Amino acid sequence: MTQTITFTFNGNPIHCEEGQSIAAALINSDQRELRKTRFGDEPRSIFCGIGICFDCVVVVNGVANQRSCLIEAHDGMKVESAQ
Amino acid sequence: MIIVIGAGPAGLAAAEAASRNGSEVALIDSSSRLGGQYWRHRSKVTGYRSNRADEIFAKVSAAQSITHISEANIWSAEREGNLIRVNYLQGGIESSLTAEKVIIATGAYDRTLPFPGWDTPGSMTPGAAQSLLKGQGVLVGKRIIVAGTGPFLLPVATGLAEAGAEIVALIDANSPLRWSLSPLALLTNITKFSELVYYVRLMRKFRIRPHFGRAVTTFANGVATISAVNSGFHIKSGKSQAMRADVVAVGWGFVPDLSLGGILGCAQRVDSDGTVIFEVDENQLSSQPQIWIAGEATGIGGADLSLIEGEIAGLAASGQKIRHALLTERVRKQRFANALKRSYPVRDGWREWITSNTTICRCEEVKSQEIKDSVSELGAEDSRTSKLFTRAGMGLCQGRMCSRNVSEIVSGITQCAVTDGERIAASNRPIAAPISLGQLSDGKNSR
Amino acid sequence: MKNPDAIVIGAGIVGASSALSLTNAGLKVLVIDRGAVSSGTTGAGEGNILVSDKDPGPELTLALHSRNLWFEMQEDVGDSFELEAKGGVVVARRDDGPLMKLATEQSHHGVTIEKCNETRLHELEPYLHPDISSGVFYPQDAQCQPMLAAAHVIRTVVQRGGEFISQAKVTRIIVEDCAVVGIETTRGTFRVPIIVNATGTWAGELAELAGSYLPIAPRKGFILVTEPTKKYIFHKVYDSDYVANVASSDADLQTSTVVEGTRSGTILIGASRERVGFDGAMSYEILRTLAAQATSLFPVLRDVQLLRAYRGFRPYAPDHLPVIGQDAKVKGLWHSAGHEGAGIGLAPGSAALITDAILGRDSFMDGAAFSPARFATVNS
Repeated sequence: MTQTITFTFNGNPIHCEEGQSIAAALINSDQRELRKTRFGDEPRSIFCGIGICFDCVVVVNGVANQRSCLIEAHDGMKVESAQ
Repeated sequence: MIIVIGAGPAGLAAAEAASRNGSEVALIDSSSRLGGQYWRHRSKVTGYRSNRADEIFAKVSAAQSITHISEANIWSAEREGNLIRVNYLQGGIESSLTAEKVIIATGAYDRTLPFPGWDTPGSMTPGAAQSLLKGQGVLVGKRIIVAGTGPFLLPVATGLAEAGAEIVALIDANSPLRWSLSPLALLTNITKFSELVYYVRLMRKFRIRPHFGRAVTTFANGVATISAVNSGFHIKSGKSQAMRADVVAVGWGFVPDLSLGGILGCAQRVDSDGTVIFEVDENQLSSQPQIWIAGEATGIGGADLSLIEGEIAGLAASGQKIRHALLTERVRKQRFANALKRSYPVRDGWREWITSNTTICRCEEVKSQEIKDSVSELGAEDSRTSKLFTRAGMGLCQGRMCSRNVSEIVSGITQCAVTDGERIAASNRPIAAPISLGQLSDGKNSR
Repeated sequence: MKNPDAIVIGAGIVGASSALSLTNAGLKVLVIDRGAVSSGTTGAGEGNILVSDKDPGPELTLALHSRNLWFEMQEDVGDSFELEAKGGVVVARRDDGPLMKLATEQSHHGVTIEKCNETRLHELEPYLHPDISSGVFYPQDAQCQPMLAAAHVIRTVVQRGGEFISQAKVTRIIVEDCAVVGIETTRGTFRVPIIVNATGTWAGELAELAGSYLPIAPRKGFILVTEPTKKYIFHKVYDSDYVANVASSDADLQTSTVVEGTRSGTILIGASRERVGFDGAMSYEILRTLAAQATSLFPVLRDVQLLRAYRGFRPYAPDHLPVIGQDAKVKGLWHSAGHEGAGIGLAPGSAALITDAILGRDSFMDGAAFSPARFATVNS
């Protein structure tokens, strides 16, 4: 059995399987919009899925511009759309 | 020691081949698992002839002389006398590794074209839908359109259907009749038919209807416009239809990542389809001594060709004899790869799909009109100058997504073809992956 | 354009401002470049418009006037190149004596300074390392986006009747009786009595084409560009060592930190200086040194990611002063080059000087110190 873990996204709890990427966990929880763009305030989500395009970047434990498609979710992690 | 960079088909084959005579191999990859993008799977690999993956995983895992360095992001490489030093980040800490020889097998990523709505959530590459499914066990949507061009759309669409998605349409902008341009490649690669049959069966099973000569030209609020396009990708008037979908997965072939080889000075050229690739000799040796390159970075050709190129590079780097049959096999696969390029071209007509307000550079949110103005108002004549004026390609992805498209848009206005020099310059980056300034400065103190 | 009054060679910021000032003086100006707009050093610059890094003397006088001309040029051309009087903060890490002495002298020559104690310094730059306790604030220091500036200035020149021809490499400068009569380029031959050599690092080669001599050499520099961040850096912040390095003739690598934010949210970190000809190789050791210095000024930058690094070549003369004025041998050949790392800031001032000299009218300062004639004895 895979372990279930919980992290927060913009303050809301998200449950996912251990080993899943942050982006996968969020999309699996129907949270498709990951952030708003800097200038146009437009919603963005996962795009390339393999760490090339940087569209899915989020703030992870205070560190900005982290690619949510590459970073594994961990229990207690604090994920935010913006600083 | 030999450093093999990338654990996809080419890198795995290279590592396995080099280990046959006991050569020490360090196999470095950014993922936690072997397989690269093509065989990126959480549990067992599935799909056509997936046993090939299991075989090579088993061999690589069993080889005593191969060390797998996982979750390592290489940000730079440099020569130190006769050695090559590879600098990478692992778990937030910078480390480095030196070796006499390096095999670069860094693979490729989806090529994308802009269209109105390609930057809204729900629009993504087929590779993204695939990696979420196979790598993460997450189905990205319920009603999905898979579109673009190329054979890669087949495993993506059937894989998503198998996982329970409704494939609203599978759309290729090119016509399958283009295969008739390459009869010899088909005849000499007859096994490819069984792969096609495999996918056609799956498509029947999941009632996926393929459409040809069509493209997704807009996507907004869960509705995609499917336009009929001619062989130049120009929209045929009056022949578009709207389709409801929560996801459009659109891809236009692949772009190899050249950063590392470029940093090490390996010579590049422009392939027949406009893709910048490395020059290699018959043993996959690059223009730089002791650096071999295999797989997509020497020309997009798929997993079959990558496996053979990787094997040749691994044998050459470890000083083993290369059987003539292997070289012949590569010629055969290359013929098929060339047929793929002829059958699935990307034509200029896409430039008419965009409007003045379409985002071209996703990172810096540069719109099509700004790029046009940089040429007509400010005198930019190539993509480099246009980028300096508009910031297109200056953002987090460093132009990996947009630089080729910006060149093509600028070229469409100036009516001057994109030069090879411009294409090559736009494909090279001195920093292969982001590194924090703290990590960078700690690297100084540790030396 | 059949018969221009003057041809400006070089579409960087120095050439562009010269063309604008000549055009505004009533001349018909043709600008040519061997590449496109901003394709040389201007395209690799940070956009520094500094008075803080200059010792009292002719260059400071030029810099102060030029800085004001930048704002006049913005009014003339339109607010289109991100000109901003953001101010500079120079910090002293150890002994602040030399910095304070320089600031006092500068203040006697028209530079506005504010000596800062620890509280004031950290009020200006809240993310500065807490151990740094002394510095000087220079409110006149400014910044622009130099590529955009050159492009908009040239556009204005063209709107006012001038012309710009790109991809035109000069193959010959036609000199008769020690005076310029025309030039041959890969895109046409032109008869012209006045040529402004604004070719930056290539100015020496161009002088040679005219049978003259100008000792301008390239000095390589790297700039690091980070990911976009929230605002951590509010001014142009640099280490007081920078002033010493700019003036140094040492060929070896020198690095001292200059850190600043840009409008797009990225942070630029410079500036290394080394004289290695046109060797464009990337040096990761230099990147590490620059990163170490920047993070020691601003520890918050440790978590900020480096996106790219680029290098440029600054054109410099042996005495580190720009070369502005008529060639010592060839009449009608005017040079405005060798501005080293200060070309953006000094561009409109240099343009005013050279325009005044060409028209034979009085200028805002005596430009004798910049005269190309100062090198004439070296060669003959």
